[in-house]
Amino acid sequence: MKSRYITFVLILIIVSMPLISPSSESRLENWSKILLCPVCQGETIYDSPSEYADDMKSILKEQIDNGLTDGQINAFWVERYGERIITNPITNNTEILIVPISIVLIFISIFIRKLYVKK
Amino acid sequence: MIYNIGIIFSWISLGLLIFLFFNKKNLYTEILVRVNLFIQVFLFCLLEVGLFLNDFSLSYVANYSAKSTPPLYKFASLWGSLDGSILLWNLCLSLFMYFYLKLYKDPSSNIDIKIFTLIMIFFVGYTVFSSSPFAGCIELATIGCSTSTILPFAELVTSNTGRGPNPLLQNHPLMAIHPPMLYIGYVGMTMPFVAATSRLYSKKEDSNSWIEVAEKTTYIPWLFLTIGITLGAAWSYEVLGWGGYWAWDPVENVSFIPWLLATAFLHSAKIQKTQNTLLNWNYILVGLMFLSTLFGTFITRSGVLISVHAFSNGNIGTYLLFGMLLFGLIFIGIGSKNIEYFSKSKKIDNWFGKSGFFVYNNIFLFSSALVIFIGTIFPLIYETLYSRQITVGRAYYDILVGPLLLILLGLMIFSVKLSIKNLNIQKWLNDNVVLINIALMVTIFTLFLLNNSYILIVTVSFSFLLIFTTVSNFYKNFRVPKGSSSYWTGQIAHLGIGIFALGIILNVSQSFSTEKELNSFQEFNFNNETYFVYDTIEERLPEKNVLKLPISNSKQTKYTSLNIFKNSSQQAISSPAVFRSIINDIYITVKFINEDSYKLIVRNNYGVLIMWIGLLITSLSFFPRLRNNEV
Repeated sequence: MKSRYITFVLILIIVSMPLISPSSESRLENWSKILLCPVCQGETIYDSPSEYADDMKSILKEQIDNGLTDGQINAFWVERYGERIITNPITNNTEILIVPISIVLIFISIFIRKLYVKK
Repeated sequence: MIYNIGIIFSWISLGLLIFLFFNKKNLYTEILVRVNLFIQVFLFCLLEVGLFLNDFSLSYVANYSAKSTPPLYKFASLWGSLDGSILLWNLCLSLFMYFYLKLYKDPSSNIDIKIFTLIMIFFVGYTVFSSSPFAGCIELATIGCSTSTILPFAELVTSNTGRGPNPLLQNHPLMAIHPPMLYIGYVGMTMPFVAATSRLYSKKEDSNSWIEVAEKTTYIPWLFLTIGITLGAAWSYEVLGWGGYWAWDPVENVSFIPWLLATAFLHSAKIQKTQNTLLNWNYILVGLMFLSTLFGTFITRSGVLISVHAFSNGNIGTYLLFGMLLFGLIFIGIGSKNIEYFSKSKKIDNWFGKSGFFVYNNIFLFSSALVIFIGTIFPLIYETLYSRQITVGRAYYDILVGPLLLILLGLMIFSVKLSIKNLNIQKWLNDNVVLINIALMVTIFTLFLLNNSYILIVTVSFSFLLIFTTVSNFYKNFRVPKGSSSYWTGQIAHLGIGIFALGIILNVSQSFSTEKELNSFQEFNFNNETYFVYDTIEERLPEKNVLKLPISNSKQTKYTSLNIFKNSSQQAISSPAVFRSIINDIYITVKFINEDSYKLIVRNNYGVLIMWIGLLITSLSFFPRLRNNEV
């Protein structure tokens, strides 16, 4: 039984760990992982070593240093390159979450029903 | 010469297959299958000969090989583009047809060979009627060939040198192994399809025999798919210089979808065998596995999606759609003939017993495949509906697929010991409390050194729990020949996945990078280590110029290089210098070189070696099957 308590304490410690040392990711890093490098093949500007991506990163850095909101940054890039530039489509298109989730839920419900209901 | 022989033998091969399809006498079947295999091997070698003899009157050789191409990459050019890769596809298919005939053929009926033949006719037909790797060049382009003919005995023109393969494909020897592995996996998915459709077509008393064959024939392709995907990821990491290994690129996705479906099937087949349930579901899975490979080829080769891998356009798109329709109809037709048989499928009784767990496993694996499928085709649908382009990137998969895979990781912990009866969680906790405590302690110790987040914590503790339970199970039971070989195959695969999960979560959550600008003979500090940069060395090879920059730390010297390919308009490829250790890699790529000043990207990539080790262990899961000759 004692070991049960140990487990409990260990779980408590683990759960509290992110509160003590939270993860840190800068806004610049975050945004450069979202923006697509338009001249590369499917890479974000974070991944791409091209100079084009470099230039985009420096514009992005300026925007973040000037304290632009996420909405403003988003609008700036979408206006210039179209929606394609944002690799995180969830911010602008909710259907991209709704469609797969609903299809998966429909699948699961049919699957379980078929297996569960007895004749 | 090669052109005429190649085209005529493609025709002969097609004629032979059509004869085999309509042939009524069992007597000839084996001979014809052998001859067919022989012709396919011959055609493969013939194109290799063309490549090595620099026969630039062949349009394919002129466009995808060059005089200066090194031998290994000349060899690999055969599958460097669409037409040649169909040749490799045909070779794999005829090999599998031969093995199927030898090992798994239904002794009482010929229908399995007929379905196999039909599929082969489909692919060989493509090389005969649409676009052949043996097409002769009748009009030259500035470099390479612009117009070609697939009819024999035409007047050909020859260029002096060819265009050469895509630079990306001639930068690392892995490129010669990764595609064939994937192809074997991809093409092998034909076998379970044939097994299921043919055996259910000829309907016998014990119709469950199809599941045995389908399960056995799925494992080999699954294994090769695992190896192929791993090698592809490794290649991407070692060569492309972006520090990553998986980009949720459409082509990667379509290789992952059949893998997920096959993994689901390998599990659900097991409970059909023991408990006679999920009959219809297994049939659907087998069909989708095969159709998803056609779909994958369609997506990547038809040019409907842009990606690193989509290197060829042509009319194969419509052709493959037709194939999907044809084989889809055959599949549905045979399925509907067996409605009565499928209705005998038993319902699940114990939702927390063995069958329940396998059902959950199938639900989550299939859902992942579904989500990835939707993500892959969503840009297409979106563009059709709204005529605007969007990119479905990492964030989508992180949000939707991530949790599904995490649940699967959690479920695997229980796989060590599952009984038919419902799991008693109280008892399970009591039995495993020591292991749980050890896993949690190791987790805490690990987390002290890391940036924390809840997703990391859950993944790390699940992985450690999975690794410890599996290892202790090995320690206790492996020597005693307890449990079937497929059970131990599963255990090894699960152990590998547990280690892999640990590596990937470390990589995703901990890696970071910075940029350094410096001159020759300067040093910089990164992650408590000093790195010294020398001067560039220029190396001129026939096919490329390489600018190498030696970098050393206190222990070793490595080279990062810029590869500038001749005959190519693409930008230079930057190969990394990787200082490896089990926990993290220091991964340095050169961004640009200006006289003697450099801009370097220095990455600290965690967990990469752990990932490869995990995937290697998963790939080694075939050992227990060898023991019982179950492969």
